[in-house]
Amino acid sequence: MLGYIGRRAYHSVISVIGLLTLVFFLTRLTGDPSALYLPLDSSLEARQAFARLNGLDQPIYVQFFQYLHNLLSLDFGQSLRQNRSAIEVALEAFPATLKLALVAMTLATVLAIVVGALAAARPGSLFDRVAGLVSLAGASTPDFWIAIVGILVFAVGLGMLPTSGTGTALHWIMPIVVLMLRPFGLLVQVVRGTMISALASPFIKTAHAKGMKRRKIIFGHALRNSLLPVITVAGDLATGLINGAVVVETIFGWPGIGKLMIDSIVQRDFAVVQSTILVTAIAIFIVNIAIDLLYAVLDPRIRY
Amino acid sequence: MGNKSVRVIAGAMVVAGWAGWAGAQSASEIKIVLPEQPANLEPCGTIITNVGQILSRNVVEPLTIVDPKSGQPTPGLATEWKQTDPNTWQLKLREGVKFQDGAAFNAEAVKFSIERMTGGKLTCSNIAKFGDAKLTVTPIADLTVEIKSDKPQPILPTLLSVVMIVSPNTPADKAVNDPVGTGPFKLSSFTPQTVVLEAFDGYWGEKPAIAKASYVWRPESSIRAAMVETGEADLTPSIAIQDATNPETDFAYLNSETTAIRIDAGFAPLDDVRIRKALNLAIDWDGLAQLFGEDVQRASQMVVTGINGHDDKLAPWAFDAEKARALIAEAKAAGVPVDTEIELIGRNGIYPNGTEAMEAMMAMWQDVGLNVKLTMLDVNDWLRYLQKPFPESRGPNLLQMMHDNNKGDAAFTVPIFYTSGGSYSTFEDAGLDKEVADAMAATGEDRTAKFKAIFAKVHDDLAVDIPMFHMIGYTRVGSRLEWKPDITTNSEIPLANIALKD
Repeated sequence: MLGYIGRRAYHSVISVIGLLTLVFFLTRLTGDPSALYLPLDSSLEARQAFARLNGLDQPIYVQFFQYLHNLLSLDFGQSLRQNRSAIEVALEAFPATLKLALVAMTLATVLAIVVGALAAARPGSLFDRVAGLVSLAGASTPDFWIAIVGILVFAVGLGMLPTSGTGTALHWIMPIVVLMLRPFGLLVQVVRGTMISALASPFIKTAHAKGMKRRKIIFGHALRNSLLPVITVAGDLATGLINGAVVVETIFGWPGIGKLMIDSIVQRDFAVVQSTILVTAIAIFIVNIAIDLLYAVLDPRIRY
Repeated sequence: MGNKSVRVIAGAMVVAGWAGWAGAQSASEIKIVLPEQPANLEPCGTIITNVGQILSRNVVEPLTIVDPKSGQPTPGLATEWKQTDPNTWQLKLREGVKFQDGAAFNAEAVKFSIERMTGGKLTCSNIAKFGDAKLTVTPIADLTVEIKSDKPQPILPTLLSVVMIVSPNTPADKAVNDPVGTGPFKLSSFTPQTVVLEAFDGYWGEKPAIAKASYVWRPESSIRAAMVETGEADLTPSIAIQDATNPETDFAYLNSETTAIRIDAGFAPLDDVRIRKALNLAIDWDGLAQLFGEDVQRASQMVVTGINGHDDKLAPWAFDAEKARALIAEAKAAGVPVDTEIELIGRNGIYPNGTEAMEAMMAMWQDVGLNVKLTMLDVNDWLRYLQKPFPESRGPNLLQMMHDNNKGDAAFTVPIFYTSGGSYSTFEDAGLDKEVADAMAATGEDRTAKFKAIFAKVHDDLAVDIPMFHMIGYTRVGSRLEWKPDITTNSEIPLANIALKD
């Protein structure tokens, strides 16, 4: 197991270095940040001074080798926008996204498993049809629309919840609901499909023949055998949430890494773009390893 | 854990959350919600909207303050000033002023702040207003300072309104996020979620009614408006016209920005004045104004009323499609290639309905016979067309742009737009260059008259550009506050001017 994790880590380090190299050059293709950081009517002299101060007057290959050299001493550069360490800015924003993603994904997965399993148990029933409709709506409705309507109804209309921001338990409700709707909708579809296949399997028929209780057959046998594809999809959705809960973070003023990444790209804050990519890439690597390990727990035939 | 326990804990969390959310503010505390997070809190960047709206005249104060009505400099930390020769100004400084860290405010502190700004060791946005001027600051007495420039600066007191005075204990070689000034409020905290200012007990002026102000940021206009409506916030600037639906709380104000189309006069057919005049005449201005709201004002020049040099009597172009067609026909008969494709370059998100405005104008120009095609660009690409050096591959083009001048004088507008060397200028006219140089060196009424003459010439005779509208901003002010926005609101929201209703 440890050997497997070591091999995955080794390959991931190579991938991350490749990714950072790509990001370094792609960000610099977007042009000179002085046009955004200095007023439009700045003199050429001021622009040159800005470039000099930030090392942007050097040829791009010199900047790249300087970047690699700094990486070796864990110097990830300074944020042009915030006048402080770029990695500090990224690490400060990351927990907010992680917490939101973790809660939303856990709730979405648990609810989807229960709803999907119950829908699969009685295909074509009223519950199945309602679950299908709700999950399809959840998976396909744009989250910015749900967020705005949620604010209009629950904050402005009913005054039950705050419009946005952080600080209290109530501030979590709308961002979590909006963020979990899409994974919930997709996972209900996956759980239902795999469960219907599992329930038609010979071992389930055998369990029925032996007189095993229906609830135990559904949740104890069929569900366990249906979880592998669910975990694969849930893993992909989870990495998506870590990478970009951008809309939710923007609308609800949630100080997370998704919005930071987009803002930094728009602002040509190169060091922060690189740091946010690094942090999210490592997080996605950890989530993927965790999913692989979970496979082994759920399916004894899988060994690393 | 039983079901009952779960219910009790969940209920307690909701109640605690509700209490924390609803009852966070006391009577003299206010919350302001801004469209954008300030990138940093460096006092040398107060001309950037989201920095200036927090710091300017709250935490840090300038030497002079431009009066929003007259455009003239009035006392700030400097109380009097006089020009001793064309290159030298002498300033008397205010007595009894202390910095928030206890340091003394005096001529040495002013010298420190100006040299920090001009030293080139940190990125300083405000210095852009001084162009390439070199300043030498000499303390004459404890509260008297002399400022020399390498060339005449007739409006130095106006320029000094962007010089924010910081404590001499501020690092001179790097930007800061913990500014210390002489203002009525001191910085309490700055996190990724909020900036908090608290009243400074040692302030030299009148004690403000506000004891504490928190700033948060939400990019969505509808959410900012909703925050004030629900009482979560007390004030938000720059809401979109479609969110400004409540006349009790939503105030329209001339926000000092002017939108226009720059004509690239370096290419045919735009190098012909008849075509440039036709471009102005072909627009149904009343129809176009529908996209900008009923409060918007037609523009005839690139600065608004109140800016020195603005000419109230200069009439905007009227809509006359027939005359436009006649001018185009006349140019065609004279050999001007009027069928050449002209690229109209717009900027995504430049202002609400900006794309729709470009689409409408393109259709109106096509209607009078010009071959105009629209290209919309994001800001980074658009900037390449706005300022020199322009892309070499460009052809005849019209550029959508917006210009903000709330600094009291046309000097911040005319040279960059209308001189041969101006960074936005596509027009080269030695005669106009000389007129601009004369205006820049003039003072008093002579200066005003010269700038007015330049605006009249570029509008009526040369038709260098297509001034569209002086833009309107909307601010939502909660029912607890007594405050109205003005032309300076884009760059400052002085908390000391906000009163609390009983």
